[in-house]
Amino acid sequence: MTPVTQALLVLLLPLVSAAVIALFLRRQGGIATLVSVSVAAALAAVSLNLILGGERFTASMEWLRFGNFAVSLGFKFDDLAAVMLFVVSFVGFFIHLFSTGYMREDAARGRYFGGLSIFMFAMLGIVFADNLFMMFIFWELVGFSSYLLIGHWHERQSASDAAKKAFIVNRVGDFGFLLGILMCYWVHGTVNLTELGATHDGGGIIYSRLIPLLLFCGAIGKSAMMPLQVWLPDAMEGPTPVSALIHAATMVAAGIYMLCRIEVLMVPDALQVIMWVGTTTALYAALCAIVQRDIKKVLAYSTLSQLGYMVAAFGLGSSSFELNGVAIAAGVGAAMFHLTTHAFFKALLFLGSGSVIHGCQHEQDIFKMGGLKSKMPLTFWTFTIGVAAIIGMPGFAGFFSKDAILLLALQKNPAVFAILALTAVLTAFYMVRMWKLVFFGATRSEHAAHAHESGFSMTLPLIVLAVLSAVGGYSGIFGRIAGSVAYLVPHAEGADHTTILIVSLAVMIVGAGSAWWFYKSDATDTLEAKSRGLFRGLTVLKESFDVLYDYYVAKVQQRFAMLLNFLEQIFLAGLIIRGCAGLVGLMGLGGRALHVGSLHAYVYWFLFGLVLLWAYAAGVF
Amino acid sequence: MSQLPFDPLFVSIATPLAVALAIAFGLPKRYSVKLAYVGFAVPALLALHCWYHFPAGAGADYVFATQYSTGLASLGISLKLGLNGIALPLFVLAGLVGLAAGLYAIQSQAERLKHYLMLLLIMQGGLMGVFASVDIFFFYFFHELALIPTFIMVGVWGGRDRNYAAMKLTIYLTLGAMLSLIGLIAIYVKSGANSFDLVTLRHTLVATPLAGGLQKHLFGLLMFGFGILVSLWPFHTWAPLGYGAAPSSAAMLHAGVLKKFGLYGLIQIALPLLPLGASQWTTVLAGLAVFGNILVVGFITMAQRDLKQMVGYSSVMHMGYAFLGIACLSSLGAGGVVLLMVAHGLSVALLFLLTTSIHHRTHTFDLNEMGGLAQKTPVLAAFFVAATLASIGLPGFANFWGELTIFVAAWTYSKVLTACAVGGIIISAVYGLRTAARVFFGTPTEELARVTAAHPPADLRWSEKLPAIILLAALLFIGFWPKSLSTPLNAALHPAWPAPGALPLQTTSGK
Repeated sequence: MTPVTQALLVLLLPLVSAAVIALFLRRQGGIATLVSVSVAAALAAVSLNLILGGERFTASMEWLRFGNFAVSLGFKFDDLAAVMLFVVSFVGFFIHLFSTGYMREDAARGRYFGGLSIFMFAMLGIVFADNLFMMFIFWELVGFSSYLLIGHWHERQSASDAAKKAFIVNRVGDFGFLLGILMCYWVHGTVNLTELGATHDGGGIIYSRLIPLLLFCGAIGKSAMMPLQVWLPDAMEGPTPVSALIHAATMVAAGIYMLCRIEVLMVPDALQVIMWVGTTTALYAALCAIVQRDIKKVLAYSTLSQLGYMVAAFGLGSSSFELNGVAIAAGVGAAMFHLTTHAFFKALLFLGSGSVIHGCQHEQDIFKMGGLKSKMPLTFWTFTIGVAAIIGMPGFAGFFSKDAILLLALQKNPAVFAILALTAVLTAFYMVRMWKLVFFGATRSEHAAHAHESGFSMTLPLIVLAVLSAVGGYSGIFGRIAGSVAYLVPHAEGADHTTILIVSLAVMIVGAGSAWWFYKSDATDTLEAKSRGLFRGLTVLKESFDVLYDYYVAKVQQRFAMLLNFLEQIFLAGLIIRGCAGLVGLMGLGGRALHVGSLHAYVYWFLFGLVLLWAYAAGVF
Repeated sequence: MSQLPFDPLFVSIATPLAVALAIAFGLPKRYSVKLAYVGFAVPALLALHCWYHFPAGAGADYVFATQYSTGLASLGISLKLGLNGIALPLFVLAGLVGLAAGLYAIQSQAERLKHYLMLLLIMQGGLMGVFASVDIFFFYFFHELALIPTFIMVGVWGGRDRNYAAMKLTIYLTLGAMLSLIGLIAIYVKSGANSFDLVTLRHTLVATPLAGGLQKHLFGLLMFGFGILVSLWPFHTWAPLGYGAAPSSAAMLHAGVLKKFGLYGLIQIALPLLPLGASQWTTVLAGLAVFGNILVVGFITMAQRDLKQMVGYSSVMHMGYAFLGIACLSSLGAGGVVLLMVAHGLSVALLFLLTTSIHHRTHTFDLNEMGGLAQKTPVLAAFFVAATLASIGLPGFANFWGELTIFVAAWTYSKVLTACAVGGIIISAVYGLRTAARVFFGTPTEELARVTAAHPPADLRWSEKLPAIILLAALLFIGFWPKSLSTPLNAALHPAWPAPGALPLQTTSGK
């Protein structure tokens, strides 16, 4: 098979799987599972072959044409796409596998696995897309699959609301994204990623800033940056493997991937904005994570925070970073490096939490767990590796990628460096808090007391991802799959190296140590008990956006809609239209008054007419 | 080209009319129903046949063209049939939606089913005729032929407020049709071609265009005349009311197909014949479309509590994109409009069909009295969500391509209006998903629980599923393979109309 055929196969296999499941296997959950998982396995195998085969290519065909305007369906498979393909197909397969265990009891398994297949199709479309129109198409499709899977348990009102919210908030981002694409098309004459790199001429002072910023709106929506971050915590209503796949490892990272794709369009002003949006989100989400009780919500805010890290990295380092006197897109390197390691350890953490939730009969409150270390040893050890990776324990994957970002910040912007370092302290703090409350101390609920280790289909993915989280940061692994992208990752040397090492060790020890020391194994939040003001403050901070948006939707938008509707009913449909009808009716009434059928009336009318006639003849008027 | 031993266009018009005639002459009910299947299936199959056999690279000229004498040759009237790249997509649309509406009507157990089917068949014959006619006289004639049964069906088989709705519908649509008729006759008279044949008219007017001032008046007449028929804001209030009251199959055919007559007339007749006139009206048209149809009606749609009214308003909103595309005066814009017309026709017909199916199970249209229906009827829920997502322009469905192309075209016309129009994708997502969630997800309301306890709802039956599948399959097919329509369309639009931004026909008019 040629590489193009392989790529086509990778893209279309999940679509076929989704179609087969939707048409024939709605009730045959077992067969649907088999179809979906084998497709995921097959495409992981073909993808691995593509990535390690070393062949990089572009290919495209026309999809629609009007005059000079053409949309094409094309593949741009370079090293950047290869990294992303690895993350999506490899992590994707293990999450499929995990789902077979996690969703075994679910009545609507067919729909679930069909949804996973649609997601794989849409996500791979983004990975391969060679132009922005195509990327937008699959961009919206991942949004659809996310909608489908968040709302999997649609009988729950909260799930239905969360699904709707995710789609609409993403559409807000897509509004800017689409405008950016249109602007890019008319200013540069093309949206093909390769051609954009070749013919880029800025397009004037306004467009050169507006285009990247509008395109960034797409990333704000999809990667849940502030101020559109509100949908991601709610998206945890979906089944846990979905949270791992879509809302942690792959789809939410698509925003960062897209930014790296359009790196040639970036200008310093736009990068400044991107950097600050990322940095603010990183800090904000880390603060929110501290007061969460729900194990998945902690991880969701942690994901937001890490995505903020990646976006900040992109903003910090792209276009203008010098390594040995050569300008390289260090932001792309650092962002993609962290994206990859994050995909490993965050998928691991989510699946670990899924294993915990599964073991505790769907208990999600970390204050009702505790002491699971001995009950679920495999989950505990793999989860521990995940925690070590995310807090930046030396030697684990997250350590290397986070240090690359901190290095960029140190060299570019001390303020951002300080904020990101603080975020790292908080990360270590909330992760160790969760880790301690879940796995150590006394068992605090009935469900947790009866917890048991999950089956092989769930623990195998945990083990594989734990291995990757441990070793994924070494250049032997990342360099092998990322090729030239790995060269873009900045490495600290000399004094910087020492500074970064000291800072990252210090933040980890401070964060982790204080959490371990501070939190007691108790049914209430120690922070809430000891420092009520701080706890309340953080809670308000977390809820402020939702309060504001809910107010807008219920009080502004809906009332505006009602007002317009009222005006339409009263004025347009009522007064004007009925008024016209009334006028016609009045004329009819007047006409009828002339013909009353009474002889006297006719005589008077006759006389009146006669007078008029006489007056006219006499020249009165 | 067609290898059929008969003229597919004529047969596709004549079959439903002949079946209607047979029913009118007192065919017994069981034969009527069987024959009605034939009356709806033949046009659909012939339309697909024409699509499949449409010659590659054709589209600029009329294919499958035939001419029948009518005895009115002295007035320049003859029954000339043919399809070009613009007519073909709509002809296929009429065939498919007609089949779906017919199948849905046959199983609907309406009272006086025979007469209901008879009227629908007349409508179907008229619709096939509208898009197959090359002669403007017959183009108009077939429209009226399809329109009159609509009024009767609303008045007799309609739901709530049917009398008021039927009257309002009649007044509005007759007014719109009259304005456009005046415009069409004026073109005939002023052109001096002494022919209603669109091809002859076009040749005459390209050689000797009408004066700019006259063109302005004529285009104004056509724009408002056709505009009323397509629910241009603020002449749209008939639409939600009328569709709310209309029986489902009539609503499917009218909203899905017949309404497209106005847009089709603008693209096929008004724009090429009156390019100078069109250029003077674009500001008004685009302004009404974006601020009226898209934004104002978009917000009004959000405020609806009645499911059927909501679908009606959303349909009015989507027409705003079509008007915006026309106002761009470019082949790109017009191409997008035709794609959107087909897509919207399929999706709105599907929505009206499913709305009625929902009503059969909930016994209400009030969104506040529903909820959680998906637990009882998962297939119905899946179809409805798919139809909603199609109508709000999710890629993978046909509507997306229409909207995208219009947005791209509109950019060169006005960046601000484009931005406002693109904002419509958020508005439509809000009302679309909110509606789907209110009907199907979450927990059932007490009212619904009471209704479903009394009448346990069954999931979508095959007789309902089949027409829905026809429509959904067409939406997905075009969504995944837009070239199947855009290639002939591009051929029809591109040679006549220069690149985006330039005025149509101006370069060839020698002016």
